[in-house]
Order: sequence, then C-alpha cells, then structure tokens
Amino acid sequence: MANVSAVNTSRQRVLESLHHRQPDRVPIDFGGSATTGIHVSCVAKLRDHFGLVKHPVKVIEPFQMLGEVEDDLKLALGVDVTPVLGPRTMFGFANENWKPWSLNGLEVLVPGNFNVTVAENGDTLIYPEGDLTALPSGRMPKGFHFFDAIIRQNHFDPDHLDSSDNLQEFELLSQADLDDIAAKARAAGTGEYATFASFGGTALGDIALVPAISLKDPRGIRDVAEWYVSTRSRRNYIHQVFSRQVEIAIENLQRIYQRIGNSIDVLFLCGTDFGTQTSSFCSVPTFRELWLPYYKQMCDWIHSHTSWKVFKHSCGSSERFYESFIEAGIDIVNPVQCSATGMDPEYLKSKYGERLVFWGGGVDTQQVLPFGTPQEVREQVLRRCRVFSPGGGFVFNTIHNIQAGTPVENIVAMVDALRSFSA
Amino acid sequence: MANLKKLYDAVLNGDAKTAVAVTQEAIAEKLDPAVLISDTMIPAMAEVGRLYECEEYFVPELLLAARAMKGSLTLLRPLLAASGTKPTGKVVIGTVKGDLHDIGKNLVASMLEGGGFEVTDLGADVSPDKFVSSVRELKPDLLCLSALLTVTAPSMRTTIEALKQAGLRESVKVMVGGAPVTPEFAREIGADGYSENASQAVVTARQFCHPDKAA
Repeated sequence: MANVSAVNTSRQRVLESLHHRQPDRVPIDFGGSATTGIHVSCVAKLRDHFGLVKHPVKVIEPFQMLGEVEDDLKLALGVDVTPVLGPRTMFGFANENWKPWSLNGLEVLVPGNFNVTVAENGDTLIYPEGDLTALPSGRMPKGFHFFDAIIRQNHFDPDHLDSSDNLQEFELLSQADLDDIAAKARAAGTGEYATFASFGGTALGDIALVPAISLKDPRGIRDVAEWYVSTRSRRNYIHQVFSRQVEIAIENLQRIYQRIGNSIDVLFLCGTDFGTQTSSFCSVPTFRELWLPYYKQMCDWIHSHTSWKVFKHSCGSSERFYESFIEAGIDIVNPVQCSATGMDPEYLKSKYGERLVFWGGGVDTQQVLPFGTPQEVREQVLRRCRVFSPGGGFVFNTIHNIQAGTPVENIVAMVDALRSFSA
Repeated sequence: MANLKKLYDAVLNGDAKTAVAVTQEAIAEKLDPAVLISDTMIPAMAEVGRLYECEEYFVPELLLAARAMKGSLTLLRPLLAASGTKPTGKVVIGTVKGDLHDIGKNLVASMLEGGGFEVTDLGADVSPDKFVSSVRELKPDLLCLSALLTVTAPSMRTTIEALKQAGLRESVKVMVGGAPVTPEFAREIGADGYSENASQAVVTARQFCHPDKAA
C-alpha cells in the first residue's frame, strides 16, 4: 500500500487517521465513549468467546448499560482507543466502590451508588446520585437491557422562564473533580492507546441529557417534547441557556487543559442528534442560528489552545449539517448512520473525506449486526472499510453501541473481517 | 362571527391559544363541529403534514401544530359524540413492550386525530396482552405499533403473534413504524402496513379505512 505511515502504537495509528493520513491498518474503537461502546451482556459474551479471564464485567455507563472493554479484550478486538470518563456517570454518581448486580441473570459489577428498586410491574427504577429518598430518574422495563429517563417536569410558568433553571447541571468543576479528571487522563495518556475524553458539560440540548437524570430535583424545561417545542417557540430562552452553558464549559475546559495538557487526543463534544431516519429535527438555517455559534465558540477555544480533536455525535440523516459542523470546527463525526436518508458511504467519503473524520459507519446496528448472518456482517464491514479507509480519516466503529442481544458470532465476524481487511 | 381562516392558521402555526379561542367562538355560534373538523381542522393538519414532507416543518413544528389541534379537538369531541358523527376510522396505538419512547408514536396519534380518526393511545411499554385486550374491547379498524429501539422492534412480532393466538388478527389492520422498522421488516413480521413518518401514516391509514377516498 502506498504512503502508509509507520506507526508503533495504537495512539499513533489513530492520530495518523485523524490527520487524514493512511495508517498501517484501520484504527478501531470499541468502548471509547457512550456512543461507541458495547452493551455489558455482549462484553461478557465476547470475553467468554475469546477465553479471557472470567469475571463480572463492570458497567461503566449505567444509562445504556455499557460494559468496560478491558485491555485483554481490547487486544482481542484490536481496539486502539481508551476512554477518559468524567467524574460522574449520567445518574450523578461516581464509577467507584463496585458491587455485584444481576442484569436479567447476568452478574455484572455496578458502582456503589447504583441504587435501584423494583416497581410493582417488575421494572427496575434507578435514583439520581443513588439517593433512594429522591424520585427515581431512570426506568428499565422488566426483562430489558438498559434505562430510559423518567421525565420529572415540574410546573413552570412559560411567561416567566428563568434560564438558570436549565443550567442547574452545568457548574464549574470542583477541585476534586479536576483531580479526578487529571488522574484519569494521566493514567490513560501514558498508555499506548489513543485517549478519548468525555468530560461532560459541552452537549447543547442533547435530548438524552435534557431530563437531567443526574439531578434530584430538576428545574426548567425537562420534558423531551417540551424541549423540542422550545427550540421553535422559545428560541431566546434556548439562546440564554446555550450562551451561559458555553461560558461555563469553556472555563472548565481551560481549567482541565491546565491540568492535563494534550494528554487526551479526542474530546466528545456533544451527542445531540440532528438527524432522524429519513429527515432531521430542524432545518439547516435553524441549526446555524441556534447551535452553530455555540459549537464554534467551544471549538475555537479548543483548537486555539490544544491539539484535541473534536468529536460530534449525531444520529440519522445528518449529512445536511456537515458543512456547518465543519464551519463550527468539528473534526470528527459519529455514528455515520449510513442506512439513513442521504448518508451513502461513497458520497460522504468523496464529499467530506478530506475535511471530516468518520468515526463509525462500520456496520449497521439496527438490522445487519443484530439480525443479519455472519456473512452479511462480514460483507458490510469489508465494503465500508474499502470506502472509508483510503487516505485515513476513518476510525472503525459500529453505527452506535453494540446492542444487547446481538449474536456473538456476528460481532466476531465483524472483528474477523476487520482483521482480514487489514492483513 | 368565528374566523375559521384564523383557526386554520392557528393550527398551522401551532398557536394553541388562538385555536382554542376561535373554537370557543365557533361553538358559541353553534357551528356544526363535524363541519368545523372536516373543513378546517383536517385541511390544516393535512397542510402541516405536507410542510413536514417537504421539510419546511420538522418535529418541533409538528408538536406545536398538534397541541393547537388538540386544544380545539378537546372542545369539539364531546359535541361530536353527542351528534353521533362517525370518525374516519378507529385506531388503537401504542409503543411496544420494553420501549418507553413515545414522541414518534404521539406524533402519529396526533396526525391521525388531525385526519379525523378516533384514536385510543395506550401509551408506551405496552404488552402484547394489553394490545390484544384493547383490540377485543374497542374493535378498532387499525392497530398502530411503534418502536424506537432495535432491541424492542421484535416486540412488534410478538404482538402480532398474540393477535393471531387470540383469533383477532383478521379483525384489524396492523401498521408499524419507528426508527428500526423497515418495509421489509414490516412484511416479514406480517404487518399490513408501514409508514416512515407521521404524515405518511395518515395516508396509509386512510387507504386501509377508505380505499376509495385515500389521497
């Protein structure tokens, strides 16, 4: 292969690709973030498949129940990326003091403050900060695999909204939080993996975060439909929220950077989904008015002070926003949902391949990976690698997290296909 | 005199306050609620659907229009019932077992209501048994099943199987939709119809209930 860069570590491999240079093989992420992970039950199955030490897997992201991809599994899967997580999970408690828990009969490890009760109908309810005296903020239907937010919408007066209510969860990081982040970044940054940081606080109206499941008593607009409506009918209010949120975010990024410098390679900026399966949640002009200036402010600060690359997740038919993402300073797009309207891989690569890194797009997780045959998985993986990998600008990941119930033989077919493509 | 153009515009622009105010005026003036719905509300929601199809409207605009329409329909429905007016069709709708997502389902329900259908919304995380008992009890023309999650789409199949087991499958048309649902999947699980968005759902539902009048 011509012009292949010499690399010695996974980190160099990822960095080559992020700089749109051809690495020695396709770099791979499984488990680097909350949108590029693997359900804990699949992590357990993979560990069994590869004959790795048998022990309960840690749930490092309790909302979607994503499992930890430890170094031995990273090696088996060919993973090049390691996560640097923020001080607290989405439910507001830290990933510490691990304890056993049974997920539909599978023994896993959960954080000490992962405190749940079982509702009358058998659903599992989880509590913000693990406080069982608060109202539950998440619900896992009986027999299913992850939580969804419980909407706790307090009464609000639409004529007297106070933007500070929707800024409750955005605060300056404490010294203890900065120490925690610094320790994690230092530990990850000295290894051979590319480091993928998710500090939180930079997501603008991510609908998964709007209900504020980490808070015991969320104020402001917390109902999902009400938030969507507000992006149309209360734009001044949303501007006020985003404007102040970004001020806080940049101050936090400054303080984080002072502590960790360039020991992280990629920053998860925002998971707000702008695409639907066939259309989008707003028009491009609305995006440019309501989101772009704030993304740009954060990206400008990051690019003028750090070497971090900026990662933006947006499911669905998101191509229409890519020019604006580029203008805002976003470097990496995920999950590159090729099955959505307008997301043809060849088109995306030819139009944006030199300006955006595709972190995802590897295989469809709505149909092919969970319900297809191993051969169908293999064919799609090889096809996507052929399209996305030339010239770098590609980090292989499934299109969003690997879902519970995905056959392990399909995941293994994906890994084998990746290996054979790179051989 | 109630300004029906103002009502049409209020629904189109998602202005619930105005929609309710004009509807109250119309009721006070004893306008026929069935005519108000057929000549103003249904055309307004059809236009909302058209604007969504051509991507001038998006989810927020659909939600706003639906609220305005519901504000008006809440006032008109009791009058309709009293006058014995027949709906376009009867629909039971819900998000399938294991899935707590309801925005897409709510939009479909609203658009169907806006299209003149009588809609019973069973909510989210609805068990196959609940769907079956509702079909048995309410005898709808259509059963609409929604799912957002890949892992819950198979619950649609389970629900259709449960209808068969209960001997009710032939009594109702089943429509499915949601992010992980494709026309192929709909066919494979034995659904009668599929629609990729809320606006199309109305067109498909009309085809089932009134094939002669379908748009």
